[in-house]
Amino acid sequence: MSEELLIQKAQNGDRAALAQLVKNYEQTVYNFSFKICRNKEKAEHTMQETFLSMVKNIEQFSGKSKLSTWLYTVVSNNCLMLARSQKKHEYSSIDDEDNLISEDNIADWKITPDQISENIELKNILDDAIQNLPADYRVVFLLRDVEGLSTEETGKITELSIPAVKSRLHRARAFLRNELNKKLSYEY
Amino acid sequence: MSTEKATCKEVMNHICDNLGEDLDSPRCVAIKSHLDSCDSCKKYFTSVETTIQFYKKYNVEVDDNTHKRLLDFLGLED
Repeated sequence: MSEELLIQKAQNGDRAALAQLVKNYEQTVYNFSFKICRNKEKAEHTMQETFLSMVKNIEQFSGKSKLSTWLYTVVSNNCLMLARSQKKHEYSSIDDEDNLISEDNIADWKITPDQISENIELKNILDDAIQNLPADYRVVFLLRDVEGLSTEETGKITELSIPAVKSRLHRARAFLRNELNKKLSYEY
Repeated sequence: MSTEKATCKEVMNHICDNLGEDLDSPRCVAIKSHLDSCDSCKKYFTSVETTIQFYKKYNVEVDDNTHKRLLDFLGLED
């Protein structure tokens, strides 16, 4: 059954159609929530709140944008709200372009992405690095580079202009690359 | 046009797009020339690509219990 038809049925009160929509997107929403929160409990809570919002508001869904875009928007907003309420965490500054891209320490890395599944230490390094990235940059990096959304879709979800998306993406990539370079060039 | 050249053009297009420059602007031509001959930049570029791949491949699965708790929470149990 097409997504359009499932949405129509769900809007008419068909609970099986609603459950199928949840099933179709739960992996995407959970994974994206985890990638933002870096914590399974928080990811599950975010996923539940996101789908609760979908269930409550499905009747108002106009179909002008994709359902996935709408779900990414809800997860992103939840994440940004959470981050703003946790001002205790001091994020690294990524405003200084000169420090972001340094010609020092450009070395080969001794580990590849294929080794991620069995390497807990590497997972911890990835978690630590991205948690030091301010949430509004993290969301742009994850939507654009990790989830593969277009610059335009990312801008729509984050309510940023296209130049602002590009600028944040550039800085987020450089920041994460530097954080990983510190660990992966020397420790492995 | 070979596949390799098409890929390079895509890469250059991407870099220049982010710089707000046309592909054949003097700045983009200079960048291409530098990239062709600079090992440090190639390594830097590779490490940025690898960074993205690390985060792409680090995924978590919804297990059965998490799925059941979600449907319970929403009142949509099977």
